[in-house]
Amino acid sequence: MAATLTGMSIFTTGVVPKPEIQKQVSISSWRTFTGYKAGRIALGRVSASGPTTPSNISNKVTESIKNAEEMCSEDPASGECVAAWDEVEELSAAASHARDKLKENSDPLEKYCKDNPETDECRTYDN
Amino acid sequence: MAICAVYTATNPIFQTTKPNFGFHQKHEVIFYTRKERSRRWEKRKLSCSAEAKTVVIGLAADSGCGKSTFMRRLTSVFGGAAEPPKGGNPDSNTLISDTTTVICLDDYHSLDRTGRKEKGVTALDPRANNFDLMYEQVKAIKDGIAVDKPIYNHVTGLLDPPELIQPPKILVIEGLHPMYDSRVRDLLDFSIYLDISNEVKFAWKIQRDMAERGHSLESIKASIEARKPDFDAYIDPQKQYADAVIEVLPTELIPDDNEGKVLRVKLVMKEGVKYFSPVYLFDEGSTISWIPCGRKLTCSYPGIKFAYGPDSYYSHEVSVLEMDGQFDRLDELIYVESHLSNISTKFYGEVTQQMLKHADFPGSNNGTGLFQTIIGLKIRDLYEQLVAEKAAAPVEAAKV
Repeated sequence: MAATLTGMSIFTTGVVPKPEIQKQVSISSWRTFTGYKAGRIALGRVSASGPTTPSNISNKVTESIKNAEEMCSEDPASGECVAAWDEVEELSAAASHARDKLKENSDPLEKYCKDNPETDECRTYDN
Repeated sequence: MAICAVYTATNPIFQTTKPNFGFHQKHEVIFYTRKERSRRWEKRKLSCSAEAKTVVIGLAADSGCGKSTFMRRLTSVFGGAAEPPKGGNPDSNTLISDTTTVICLDDYHSLDRTGRKEKGVTALDPRANNFDLMYEQVKAIKDGIAVDKPIYNHVTGLLDPPELIQPPKILVIEGLHPMYDSRVRDLLDFSIYLDISNEVKFAWKIQRDMAERGHSLESIKASIEARKPDFDAYIDPQKQYADAVIEVLPTELIPDDNEGKVLRVKLVMKEGVKYFSPVYLFDEGSTISWIPCGRKLTCSYPGIKFAYGPDSYYSHEVSVLEMDGQFDRLDELIYVESHLSNISTKFYGEVTQQMLKHADFPGSNNGTGLFQTIIGLKIRDLYEQLVAEKAAAPVEAAKV
């Protein structure tokens, strides 16, 4: 199962199937059906269903989490620890926005028509 | 629409009626007239301005709580897609449509990422934000003056060179602190707070972040918990000032549900706000509990439940409309819309049409999408009333 899913995440980056279906997988059902570890794999499918985060942001997120965990091992109540986790949130939100942007721009015709709505290939007709 | 006229002693010689595209722009026309039997041209200057100010809307919510989705719904109600400024910084946080400009208040960070790290403060902390500049610039835009607004780059964590923001018809300021500073708050014509309960916030962030490399349930939880004291101290208290609050809670239709999939959403609307009359169900001011699913309408599991009634919120008189459950079929949505009053639609089914148009946005099948759309319509209504009032004021035409 894991192998198939990894394959999906590699080969479907350009295609955007309906992410809705994936999102409906619930936390408790992951736990119930698959246990925690397998749950992580199931969650990996969310990324397979949409564009992946650009690597520069993705690396920053990973780095910031490591950094926050380090900061907080020294003093969990310190301002530095809190600020580090705040940075994680900020970068995670930026990663999510970057994915949304990629999704929006993933269809070349849609993108072209956004800038050129009056051209023949972009006109839509009601009735 | 600005109407300008210049008169000679007896007859009008020049009259123009033009749509006021610039809204703030002072139209100045220089023209020449020659009196009868005179060789001299006389220079005359015509100047007129529509003194309609920019309408300013504030939207407050924590990071990752649906501000962007709300903005997309709101700008859609006004028509035309909102886009980042053309040819500008690709990391700009601003969105511009024909009528509306949305600016992100993170752009007013006084401390960049490194600065916050050094001082050990979060972005939620007022010490990391420049409220003086925020106030000055929002005020300037409201007065019709373009400003050079800084750009906070969320990827690099640095403050980028500023971008020019022209006064739009509607300015939305969205972010963590639109109602924190009393000076900024006083500039708002309408304010909204998105109040996401802890359970739902957790579920949403898992959906958002679990696929991200490096994240785990532990890291998501740790981040929420670490930010919570500052959130409680500086962000949450702003909801007492909001004209409308959208509260998002776990459902009560499924016992012990903590999946965050089915939601119970409350729309808290302040009474007595000028140009804003709250939405109601069946009978204004009564307390009503309504399950639309029954003999006339069959709903999918777990059904839909509405509640409406007067209440008190931070010692303000409010009306609360609540929806628990989700729409799985179109006839459920249109049936509900037809039973709501005061929703400020321009035609029957406009709410449904908006919801269907953006069926791919998160929350399009539940109370978050429904209430965000309704608030969008209420803001359009408020804007139109404000403009109508301004237009009724005398138009100045000057003769030089």
